Amino acid sequence: MAPTLPSGDQASDQDNWDNGRLARKRQLLTEIVLRNRLTALVVDGDTTCRVLEQLLLRSYGVQTQGVDNGRDAVALIASGVKFNLIIIDMILPVLNGLEATRQIRDMGVHCKMLGVTACSGESERQAFLAAGVDVFIEKPLDPEHLVPILRELDGQ
Amino acid sequence: MMSLHDDRWKPRLLECEIPASNPKSLQISKPKKVNLRPHFLLLKFAFLPGFKYPVAKTGLPLWMLGLDADRLRADLNRLLAFLFHQGILDEQYLQLQQLQDESSPNFVSEVVNIYFHESEKLLRNLRSLLMDREFSDYDKMGIHLNQFIGSSSSIGAKRVRNVCVAFRAASDQNNRAGCLRALELLEHEYCILKNKLHELFQIEQQRLLAAGVRYPMLN
Repeated sequence: MAPTLPSGDQASDQDNWDNGRLARKRQLLTEIVLRNRLTALVVDGDTTCRVLEQLLLRSYGVQTQGVDNGRDAVALIASGVKFNLIIIDMILPVLNGLEATRQIRDMGVHCKMLGVTACSGESERQAFLAAGVDVFIEKPLDPEHLVPILRELDGQ
Repeated sequence: MMSLHDDRWKPRLLECEIPASNPKSLQISKPKKVNLRPHFLLLKFAFLPGFKYPVAKTGLPLWMLGLDADRLRADLNRLLAFLFHQGILDEQYLQLQQLQDESSPNFVSEVVNIYFHESEKLLRNLRSLLMDREFSDYDKMGIHLNQFIGSSSSIGAKRVRNVCVAFRAASDQNNRAGCLRALELLEHEYCILKNKLHELFQIEQQRLLAAGVRYPMLN
């Protein structure tokens, strides 16, 4: 039987709960220490998602910058700014995520690119991978996907 | 694919599919035990003529107001349990709470307020598109809905997200009537979410205020 959430009156029983999945997520959230100073660019047209993704990265000590459209992302990379990680949404204003990813790769940028999207169809996944992202994730971005990537970038 | 007429859209008690949340993540950790002995000792002198003891406007000693913090914490947990049980929120909301700390104590309410602001713009845009008799730009509608799905997923607004997914399905089929029904449902679900989250934040604020008077300043 799936454990139920507590009511406010069952505070004394809560220490007996065992939630493997949420405990694991909390572990991932708290137990990573980066040795190197990593930088990331977050490209998302939605303010809520962009703010949250940046805050999640910063909670791990990653320095982040955010832009809200594909054209600004391409311009920033073209100006010579380097990032260890780029997190890019598929649907973006001005210049969409697929085209922005292609242009970034065409510039010779080989950093890790993480494609995130609210559309989780197989065709979207294939299109985004073909455009040049290394990993495709359905929103929301969570520690389970992010932490292994950060560890890899940190050389752990 | 779920139809918009499906009874599953009607609010109902859902079986809790969320794995048992670590209670510590839902519970606000109990405040440290306060040594009330000094306060009781002072009460010995409380009936002496001229004795001044700090009291609230209610006439109760200030230290007793701190007991409200426990009651409010219980209220908060009950409301959270309700929101999870009804499927209004999911575990992504807990992740948001875990990002909140002393350096950003209002983080969750600030992010949620951003979400409300952006969502209301999206709802206005969606309504404006559908109210246009000449409307045919389902691609534009799809873009708005993708954004709504993404932001709702990111804060754990499960029911709103699910309605947006069904809305997007209707939009993909160029089904205008279906989109109109979906919009009504979406506005309804969004309203519920907003009201409940406001209630949650109000209780949290009251709890923090009540917890703050547990340590009265004594002359």
